[in-house]
Amino acid sequence: MADFIRNPVVALPESDPEPHFSAVELVFTDGEKDEIARRIKQYPTADGAVMWVLWLAQEKFGFLPPEVLRLVASALDLPYAQVYGVATFYTQYYKGKKGKFVLDVCTCFTCQFCGGYDMLAYLEEKLDIQRGHTTPCGTFTVQEVECLGACGSAPMLQVSNGSYVHNLTRAKVDAMLEALQQGEQLPFVSLTLPQDEDEMGGNRRTDAEASELYQTPPASRATQ
Amino acid sequence: MPQVTIDGRVLEFEGQPRLLQFCLDHGIELPHFCYHPAMSVPANCRQCLVDIGAPMRDRATGEVRTDGEGNPVIRYFPKLQTSCSHVIADGQVIHTARTSEKVERAQQDTMEFLLINHPLDCPICDQAGHCPLQIQAYKYGPEGSRFEFRKVHKPKRVRLGPRVVLDAERCINCTRCVRFTDEISRSHQLTIIERGVKNYPITPPGVEFDEPYSMNVIDVCPVGALTSVDFRFQARIWEMTRTPSIATTHAKGSNCFLWVRDNLVLRITPRPNPEVNEYWLADEDRLCYRQFNEDRPAGPQVRNAAGTLEAVSWEQAISTAASVLEKAGAGAAFVGSARATVEDNWLLIQLAEQTGGQVVGFMEHIEAGHGDGWLRTDERAPNSEGCRRLGMTPVDGTMLRARLEDGTITALYVLEDDVIGLLSAADLQEVSVIVHHYHTTNRTLEVAAAALPAAMSAETIGTYVNLDGYAQRVRPAKVIQGASRTLMMQMGLSRADRHGTPFDRWYNETHYINCKPSWELLPAVAEALGAKVPAGGPRRIMEQISQRCDAFRGVSYKAMGLEGMPLPASIQLEAA
Ligand code: SF4
Ligand code: FES
Ligand code: FES
Repeated sequence: MADFIRNPVVALPESDPEPHFSAVELVFTDGEKDEIARRIKQYPTADGAVMWVLWLAQEKFGFLPPEVLRLVASALDLPYAQVYGVATFYTQYYKGKKGKFVLDVCTCFTCQFCGGYDMLAYLEEKLDIQRGHTTPCGTFTVQEVECLGACGSAPMLQVSNGSYVHNLTRAKVDAMLEALQQGEQLPFVSLTLPQDEDEMGGNRRTDAEASELYQTPPASRATQ
Repeated sequence: MPQVTIDGRVLEFEGQPRLLQFCLDHGIELPHFCYHPAMSVPANCRQCLVDIGAPMRDRATGEVRTDGEGNPVIRYFPKLQTSCSHVIADGQVIHTARTSEKVERAQQDTMEFLLINHPLDCPICDQAGHCPLQIQAYKYGPEGSRFEFRKVHKPKRVRLGPRVVLDAERCINCTRCVRFTDEISRSHQLTIIERGVKNYPITPPGVEFDEPYSMNVIDVCPVGALTSVDFRFQARIWEMTRTPSIATTHAKGSNCFLWVRDNLVLRITPRPNPEVNEYWLADEDRLCYRQFNEDRPAGPQVRNAAGTLEAVSWEQAISTAASVLEKAGAGAAFVGSARATVEDNWLLIQLAEQTGGQVVGFMEHIEAGHGDGWLRTDERAPNSEGCRRLGMTPVDGTMLRARLEDGTITALYVLEDDVIGLLSAADLQEVSVIVHHYHTTNRTLEVAAAALPAAMSAETIGTYVNLDGYAQRVRPAKVIQGASRTLMMQMGLSRADRHGTPFDRWYNETHYINCKPSWELLPAVAEALGAKVPAGGPRRIMEQISQRCDAFRGVSYKAMGLEGMPLPASIQLEAA
């Protein structure tokens, strides 16, 4: 995935890559099977559970190469093609092996306006890799993703389908990389909207480890 | 009866029709891409938008509110609706692009979006000339594009399978191809991957799009994204003539079109017939088109004193055949074929009666396990049911061989088939063989005393009865040498045929095969024998068959028309 804006080329996926997992590894445990059966029952048809089972498989195998997608398809008794279609739709499902931390930088509309590409370029420069690639040490992968639903605190990024880092600045990126390298867990940060400030001490969510007060980022921030 | 008003025209309807189909059925054209009458309705192309209003009802009473003049008050849906998915209800008022500027604008804008990343390579695209995207862009699209940026480039020339090539840039992601594999053929070999500007249909890794119906996606694709490995870049649509015909590689009798240019069949595509094949055609039924062009004989031949086949005139060949039959008398055995039409098989029976010989049956072509209960059948020839209904039975090879051995058969007349395989060349050493053949590869030629090239289904007129007892006609799609007036009258005409003259640069007389339809040959042989077999063209022959043969009562060319007709079922059992 080179720079899609300047060079908008969609690559053809490899038609028959070498498998990463052996037949022995490619199984769900009985416990997992029970859980899958339980999830399927929550929906009128088995396709409803496909995203959840893909998630389970990704947690288990780390990523979703074709052989794992086939396993998911057979666990749900769905066509392999359908599962493949779902898996490729979401950047959150990793089709290839990724680094220890996956930095999903949003470059969708709002983030793009607020400097998402600057943050992405800064990360690329700092880690000396191109988007879509992993650092040689295998620690970081940088990806460009679509809207993650936190436009209010744009630009933002998400770490390994987990914590969000809001209102990105270069300093925040530096601090985040440092923290990750130190093995620190990034906190789950809840963002608070002005109208909520009076309630719950400004924190809308009781389960959030940390909260940041809402600010209007970032162009107007400079003038404040 | 409930009614709707479409562009000011009041139309009545029954049941719960969908608006788009209802409009199409009433000759009201609406642009659309993703909708296909045989498949589910995803409403994803957004090209079929219309403005729909419904009569306002009083909340309390449920009465339709009226204005001062007693007309119902119509409240329009806040947004335009996709007509393909809209089920119409009584009293609704619908505006298409013809009466609503809003709809016209919306369709233009949708089209502009669809074309943003489209390569606009119509000059080199196989679909050009019959491309819904091209036609609708012309009719409903914007004047030009405002998109001044780099277009997204997607994979091109991707071989999805052995028969289908994808050009993902042309694709508009209507999902028709994916729905075909999910809902119709159920092979589930295709899916749309990625999202946004990046998405396109493809097979998942390690899967080949090789199902036996794969080529149907080429027809359902509303753009030129899916093309045939075989037909790609072979001809432009306007250079070909399209003749309605019947597929011959299975006994299902799927309806098809033969596409001909320069007297060569270049491709075969399905012709919708709800009673037989709906909209579909098996790949084998399409890929057999070469048989009409290749290995075709150069004219009649007879075996000379030196024992080799020698080219002769039609008169000579026919008189040789007649003298063979004359000499054999009651020792002549006649073999019909499931590849030949009902008319030709019936004439063979008549010829046998006239010479005192005997019809020993017809050649059937069974490939056990080939059929799938849908359009592919175990029987690999189009007309075994027609032969059965004429009272013929499949030839029994063992019995025939025994009779050849004991010398009761001294001549064998083979209609449009190859008996080698059923018999061996050695079995036929002592017998004089006459064969009507399609191809020079017919192995019966090795032992033939007279070889009469016969017109194939693409060159003749006649009737096939499919395995469900459905009688359908074939029509000549290409010209043969010395084609008779009867044949020419039935011929589909191309633009060049209609407007051209033999002095035009593109006028081309090559590929005229020197053969004759069996309905000309069999009466000619009879005449040379001094016998009389009904002649006068297949239409009249069918008239006689329907009078003389119960199983074909009521059958006529007019009744069969383009869609065929079912034959009475009871006869089927009796003959079997
Ligand atoms: S390839 Fe053709 S049929 Fe398939 S989704 Fe694209 S446009 Fe539709
Ligand atoms: S645009 Fe970046 S989170 Fe919505
Ligand atoms: S035909 Fe209605 S949305 Fe495509």
